Amino acid sequence: MNTKSDKIQQPRYINPYFGGILLGLLLLATFFIAGRGLSATGAVKLSVTKVVETVAPAHAESNPYYSMFLPEDGGSIMFNWLVFGAIGTLFGGMLSGVIFGRMKKFRVEHSPKISARTRLIAAGAGGILFGVGSQFGRGCSSGAALSGTAAFSFGGLLVMALMFGVGYVFAYFFRKLWI
Amino acid sequence: MGPLIPQEIITGQWDFVIALLIGASFGFILEASGFSSSRNIAGVFYGYNFVVLRVFFTAMIVAMVGLMYFSYFGWIDINLVFVLPTYLNSMLLGGFIMGLGFVIGGFCPGTSYTAVAIGKIDGIFFAVGTFIGIFIFAEAFPLFENFYTANDLGPITIGEMFGVSNDIVAFVFTIIAIVAFYVTWLIEKRVRKNMTEYKFE
Amino acid sequence: MNRNYIFLAIVMIMLAGGLLLLPERHNYQQIKPEKLMWDITQTSRFVTTDQVAKRIIEGDPTLELIDIRPVKDFEAFSLTNAISIPIDSLMSPNYQDYLGIEDMKVVFYGNDDIKADQAWVIAKRMGYNSIYVMEGGLNCWIKTIIRPVEPKESDPLEDFDLYQFRMGASAYFTGAKVEAPDATKTGVKVVRRKKGAAVAGGC
Repeated sequence: MNTKSDKIQQPRYINPYFGGILLGLLLLATFFIAGRGLSATGAVKLSVTKVVETVAPAHAESNPYYSMFLPEDGGSIMFNWLVFGAIGTLFGGMLSGVIFGRMKKFRVEHSPKISARTRLIAAGAGGILFGVGSQFGRGCSSGAALSGTAAFSFGGLLVMALMFGVGYVFAYFFRKLWI
Repeated sequence: MGPLIPQEIITGQWDFVIALLIGASFGFILEASGFSSSRNIAGVFYGYNFVVLRVFFTAMIVAMVGLMYFSYFGWIDINLVFVLPTYLNSMLLGGFIMGLGFVIGGFCPGTSYTAVAIGKIDGIFFAVGTFIGIFIFAEAFPLFENFYTANDLGPITIGEMFGVSNDIVAFVFTIIAIVAFYVTWLIEKRVRKNMTEYKFE
Repeated sequence: MNRNYIFLAIVMIMLAGGLLLLPERHNYQQIKPEKLMWDITQTSRFVTTDQVAKRIIEGDPTLELIDIRPVKDFEAFSLTNAISIPIDSLMSPNYQDYLGIEDMKVVFYGNDDIKADQAWVIAKRMGYNSIYVMEGGLNCWIKTIIRPVEPKESDPLEDFDLYQFRMGASAYFTGAKVEAPDATKTGVKVVRRKKGAAVAGGC
């Protein structure tokens, strides 16, 4: 469509609609195979539980949240669908990065108007907020919003609407970070 | 006849191989669509790059319509598909906090993994942040345990909530999505007139 | 606007719209014919009137009695807490909520057990498990529970216990007075009988 910036090397991405169709088909396949959607925060939640359990097992058991994920039969926490899914996501991203030539040295991506340090702090803060929020919302954008709504869950719709709605409301206040 | 794993048609160790493959496809599609760059993702809030909306919405309507067709042809038993239960209060708060995290951090957990995979340090910070965030949540959990489970509507579907069949929901979503695609295309053209760079690596 | 996009958008709308236009389709999960034949030849689907009476008296919450006779017959007389689903309407969507409830044992009964057995086959084909047929139907119910037959003196002791149980059940269901039989006062003439099949005490 708009080819105003011919001089700047346009990054090679696939057509977003095509990507969306692929993602939708993948979701469908996931539902067909596993009866559930994808979720990234699920793996994090389990990993945190595993770490706490290894370091302080008594605390893990007494805490009502961790104890929800401790398996009763002594099986491994990490040997779980979600964890393997997250590991797979890493590899998939790596593969795509290699194919499209985006695997480069470690870098911090930030708007030229802010410093790298600001960006890192913002990323960290965003991550913490997302971590807390995802547990309240029973999933993150892929788990609750995407998979949840695709399975017609009302909660999924709620989370999705709020996530984007609140983002738009507060976008003005954080515009310095991006544009 | 799906879903396969809950009905034990595929069992055992295949479970996790499949999870790996599905995760890999997920990561690949996300990265290839441009979700490994936080500046691309944040574009949805500022109007210069609507890739998030396009991929998200398209995936949703494809999955919704697909699920309904599969269910109609008997290829999948829709009652065995996991529907996220609705905890009204908790989800309202969660959505709010996540919205903030989205616009500040510019990632969501799934996409942050793809960013980590191609070497973005801010992606790593974000991912570590999610660990810390969940840890904080779990530690403080006893304080708001009641709030967490308040108002449990159970696995209620959108159709049930509004009293219509889910087919209609899928159709309405499709219409909304197509309209949104058109509108955002117009917005994007407008916003990009003033920018030189709007697609980032 | 790229023509491809318009084309895709139209395709998507048509697909989604197609969903609305699809005719209703009852997705009955049909069980395999071999399995159906096997299940039919098993007699374990039959429960005796005594078993049903016992569960009613004990107040078993998992018991679900379904009366498959016409509504008029149901209103004239029916078993305690029975639900009326005439056999012709068994497949109607309105009544599906009564079948397939987790942990409930559905027992079909009619005047005899022929129609109830048909109802069983229909429900089995629709994929429901945990379904049973009351052997002998209401005719047998009357003969065993309401007006039990007093066993002869030469009958084994088990028959007397059963009779006593049935007398008690009859009292429970009809409010009549119970008279304990004199069977226990007979001479010791214990005739060893072969143990009966699991489903004993029929009509």
